[in-house]
Amino acid sequence: MSREIAFVFNGNKMNMAIEDHWTLLHLIREELGYTGTKEGCGSGECGACTVIVDGNAVNSCLYLAAEIDGKELMTIEGLASPDGTLHPIQKAFVENGGIQCGFCSPGMIISAKALLDENPNANEEEIKEAIAGNLCRCTGYVQIVDSIKSVSGHEAQEPHVVAFRSEEGDRGD
Amino acid sequence: MRKFTYLVPKTLDEAISLYQSYGERAKYIAGGTDVLVKIKEGKLAPDYLISLKHIISQDRPFLNHETGELYVGAFVTHRMIETSPLVQAHYPILYDAVKNIGSVQIRNVATIGGNLVNAVPSADGAIPLITLDGKANIYGAKGQRSVDLLRFFLGPGQCDLERGEILTEVVVPRLLPRTGSAYIKHGRREAMELPMLGVGVLLSLEADMETCAKAGISLGVAAPTPIRALQAEKHLVGKTINEETLAEAGKIAGEESKVRDSIRGVAWYRREMVAVLVTRMGMKALERASRNAEVGMGNK
Amino acid sequence: MHNFCSVGKRVPKIDAVEKATGRAQYIQDLKLPGMLYGKILYSKFPHARIVSIDTSKAKQLPGVRCVLTAEDIPDIKMGVYKDNRPLKKGKVCSYRDEVAAVAAVDPETADEALNGVEVIYEPLPAIFDPEQAMKEGATLIHEEHKTNVLRMPWKLHYGDVDAAKKEAAHIVEDRFTTTWVTHCCMGASGSIAEFDPANNLKIYSNTQIPSLAQKDFLDALTAMGLKGNRVRVIKPVIGGGFGSKLDTYAYEYIAILLAYHTRRPVKVEFDRTEEFIATSTRQPTITYISQGCDQNGKLLFRDINMILDNGAYTSWGATTPSVMMMPITSLYRVPNVRYEAKCVYTNNTYAQAMRGYGNPQATFAIESTMDMLAEKAGIDPIEFRRINANKPGDVSTQGLRITTCGLEECMDAVKEKLEWEKPKGESEGVGLASLIHVGGGARVYKSDGCGTIIKMNDFGKIDLFTGATDMGQGSDTVIAQIVAEELGLQIEDIHVIHTDTDICPWDVGSHASRTTFVAGNAALGAAKKIKARLLELGAKQLEAPLEKIALRDRHIQHQDDSEKRIEIGKLLRKAHFSHGGQMLMAEYFYDPANENMGKDFRGNMSMTYTFGTHGVKVKVDEETGKVKILNYVAAHDVGKAINPMLLEGQVYGGVMMGLGYALTEQVILEKGENMNPNFRDYKILTAKDVVPIEAPVLETYDKDGPFGAKGIGEPGCVPTAPAIANAIYDAVGVRIKDLPITPERVLAAIREKKGLDLCGQELGRDDVDECIIEE
Repeated sequence: MSREIAFVFNGNKMNMAIEDHWTLLHLIREELGYTGTKEGCGSGECGACTVIVDGNAVNSCLYLAAEIDGKELMTIEGLASPDGTLHPIQKAFVENGGIQCGFCSPGMIISAKALLDENPNANEEEIKEAIAGNLCRCTGYVQIVDSIKSVSGHEAQEPHVVAFRSEEGDRGD
Repeated sequence: MRKFTYLVPKTLDEAISLYQSYGERAKYIAGGTDVLVKIKEGKLAPDYLISLKHIISQDRPFLNHETGELYVGAFVTHRMIETSPLVQAHYPILYDAVKNIGSVQIRNVATIGGNLVNAVPSADGAIPLITLDGKANIYGAKGQRSVDLLRFFLGPGQCDLERGEILTEVVVPRLLPRTGSAYIKHGRREAMELPMLGVGVLLSLEADMETCAKAGISLGVAAPTPIRALQAEKHLVGKTINEETLAEAGKIAGEESKVRDSIRGVAWYRREMVAVLVTRMGMKALERASRNAEVGMGNK
Repeated sequence: MHNFCSVGKRVPKIDAVEKATGRAQYIQDLKLPGMLYGKILYSKFPHARIVSIDTSKAKQLPGVRCVLTAEDIPDIKMGVYKDNRPLKKGKVCSYRDEVAAVAAVDPETADEALNGVEVIYEPLPAIFDPEQAMKEGATLIHEEHKTNVLRMPWKLHYGDVDAAKKEAAHIVEDRFTTTWVTHCCMGASGSIAEFDPANNLKIYSNTQIPSLAQKDFLDALTAMGLKGNRVRVIKPVIGGGFGSKLDTYAYEYIAILLAYHTRRPVKVEFDRTEEFIATSTRQPTITYISQGCDQNGKLLFRDINMILDNGAYTSWGATTPSVMMMPITSLYRVPNVRYEAKCVYTNNTYAQAMRGYGNPQATFAIESTMDMLAEKAGIDPIEFRRINANKPGDVSTQGLRITTCGLEECMDAVKEKLEWEKPKGESEGVGLASLIHVGGGARVYKSDGCGTIIKMNDFGKIDLFTGATDMGQGSDTVIAQIVAEELGLQIEDIHVIHTDTDICPWDVGSHASRTTFVAGNAALGAAKKIKARLLELGAKQLEAPLEKIALRDRHIQHQDDSEKRIEIGKLLRKAHFSHGGQMLMAEYFYDPANENMGKDFRGNMSMTYTFGTHGVKVKVDEETGKVKILNYVAAHDVGKAINPMLLEGQVYGGVMMGLGYALTEQVILEKGENMNPNFRDYKILTAKDVVPIEAPVLETYDKDGPFGAKGIGEPGCVPTAPAIANAIYDAVGVRIKDLPITPERVLAAIREKKGLDLCGQELGRDDVDECIIEE
């Protein structure tokens, strides 16, 4: 069955006809054509499809599009300013090595956004809790946690890597 | 996903009458995190989904100050329970359980009622509520009825709901004074786990703060349904609570369990962990009871 | 030390902004006009004869454009042994066998069509245990092969192991096993194939081996009667590789065949279940090992016999013994080595390359027994390893030439950071394990090369075309840093293009931790050519001798007179827009001087080797068997960290993958069937499982590496499991020899050690019968 819904998508009011059986992920990717939100598993186990609905992070693969009616939806595309300036969280991920293959990154960043909106001073434990539902196979999460920490009001730790011996010293030309 | 029509009633009666119109072709849905997965996997194929999300009801747990009863609406999300100061302060066993269900994303959407009516042996939400002697309020075409939550679970995936009936809330009776409780989900990872085993323990103490007045011990994934280890509970009542008596109770609870092998764990290990974790949760419950008594937080 | 501008800096990945904003386009995000959706029907049995396939119902479904079975396609051979086909004919040999494929206007219709394909099977006896499968008379997986043991003679013997055994003062001998684990790329597999009217193929695919894939697809076109036609492989942004994309798979050929038959672009995209069921695993091993040393702790021999469960078809998994030979012969100095490995066909899923390529399995057995031997010899584990440590200048029995080697320093770092000698709390322990891995390419193919083309535009900026594949690890960024450094440019001046075989040169693939070294050297070679010409032009322009000018900060300048300088862009414009104009372009193909293995498997397979030591402090819960990691130190000799931030990322990611391998991950196969094809039950670690990790980096400046660098992609997950197993032993005195190290295994071992049965009863007591062990 079709129905008309109205919602706010990344700050813009939208009216559109949807099908009852569409997931929010389908609406975003296939109908609206915004592919930043990823499908990693389709069953709420990986978090790649995370979006923010009325301030809460949800898995859009398990959320019916019909339920977005009257609500506010934010996807990864809504984070950076229209002029392209990155959101501080995005900037932190870029600068701290929080991104490798990048497939989990939009969902990861959105989860961080939902967390910091609610708790701007989240500590490491709270950060890990907030992104526990966002699986990443590349980074081992360390630099992701560092990225979020760097913008959470809690200072990021010093980088762990220190060169502790150089044998031939000056090389390179 | 397979096509269906999504219906959004505003009242229980409306929901029930919709169900009556469509019968087997309809399925109730609340948060949807289980129902939608099942539809995607082809395990469910409803033509109509009747949403319970928009039924006007309490959106967070609350205490009836006259009766001392805790009301947890079935359509309350795990996240609402997790962040409830009331639950955090007085029902830590419930907090322990819901805060580790799925991810934040899941808990923001999934409801406690959904967790219960799924009736899987691993339902994290069920163990604390049966430990707390919760009663399930059920509403249907024939009106309202109430059943002990423990008896609500009939088998894997089966619960005591007649066709079209809706679980509306769980009511937890007044806690005895000097009560403490705790729950642990035993798994391999720190998050995103279905429990290999779930263990909840509640202890109410006599005024001497060491003799057991009442005990509740519940187990998840230890039988086809969530269960209470009644013999183990009986063993504790009247005894001094310490590591030794708790270990004895744990051993009895292990014997009461009907654990089996599955891909998530082997039977011998599960049985052993029942004994270990009953002891540990018992000690934690004891500590919490003492702490509550100290700061005057015993329940009225 | 040289003052680098780009190299050695914590430069953000050049594609990070695209990825952080959701603009990066993965195969999942690509749609072509008129595109159809392909779906694959898999076998319902682990081993069965295909009696008949009826596709008529599926074909009649509206929206279905094509249904294919083996009958409809030419004989396209896949796999290292050419023993696999895109669609199976006659019989199926595993649950993941492709039986039929459909193309339809949308995924739902394609799914429905699959349901309409009726296959009648006649089940055959199946075999899931490689040791059973090796036996005489065992059911044959491939009858024409006559035996289930692959005819690949992985067998070497250097020195005289039997004689050494007689001499040895201490010997340990044991059996170790590892199981199936899988890559779990967050972006699942997929490809889109399309033919032009002249039947040239364009295929968008997730691949780590664009050039070899192109060759495979050319072979497929030949089989299809299209010999001489072109194949263009385009890589979208890749959502993780880890070895999974090192081969071509049936689904890619199926996309090609469906596209050919429908004359439309066809996309085949895996869902998560398919990704678990129909892509390959790390290969499970059974390892019989013995090692011995003399009175002073000097290793005398290492003797290993290994059985690998190959699964039903061959992929690169079958060749991992080649890389296992490296740690087996050359991790520590071992004068006498014997190794034999048998890869065995079974009706299980077939194995592939996965980060480390056999090294983690071999190192688990080697480093576990190193600790056992140290204990027997009464020597501290670190000292024992120090006695036997590799040193620069060593040539191992296999002929591996150790150039730079910081193994001892890595052990020192672990010792210090882990506070090795500090008294431990109850049930706490420390353990370590080291690694050797190829760090300067790995010659497993006829060429180990990579090509680079650089062209400079009129504004001093570079388009760089490389054969390398960035699947998330950051090779594009490292290449840009190397070129920027060499040419005095900024990272943002370098545009790296690696996505298209039509424009990018050849490369053997992103594997063997070779990309920084090989693609880095290729880029450096091309940059040097450009540099020579820039200096020439600059010298003329500045009227200065060649040796007096340098490239710095986007300028060519006189070294003694900073006023004498010209912007590189300006210089290039002058050269371009003058009479007889010229533009700067350069190509370079770098093929390292490493060696293919000879007949007795001797040969220096890599130009240099990466070393490392991992140390871990654990606390074991003796009641539950749970292992808690208190601290983890992963020290590596990396030559030179071109980008410390990305390097750390490789180590952290590798360690977390290694922790999963050690503790939680397992593809559970029951009679060949995958029982946990989801993230709920296949347990890769979550953010809450992160342990404190330190990643000290040792820079030994390898003379052959670009700016001294060696490879570091794989080492992070190589010695994780034995380090943990050794720490568990230190903590509670039990030796776990099977992966993953589950709480059940630890608890069972603790109980056994205490002389108790699994239910905590003393063995031999009367009531033992009550202890019902159901597994």
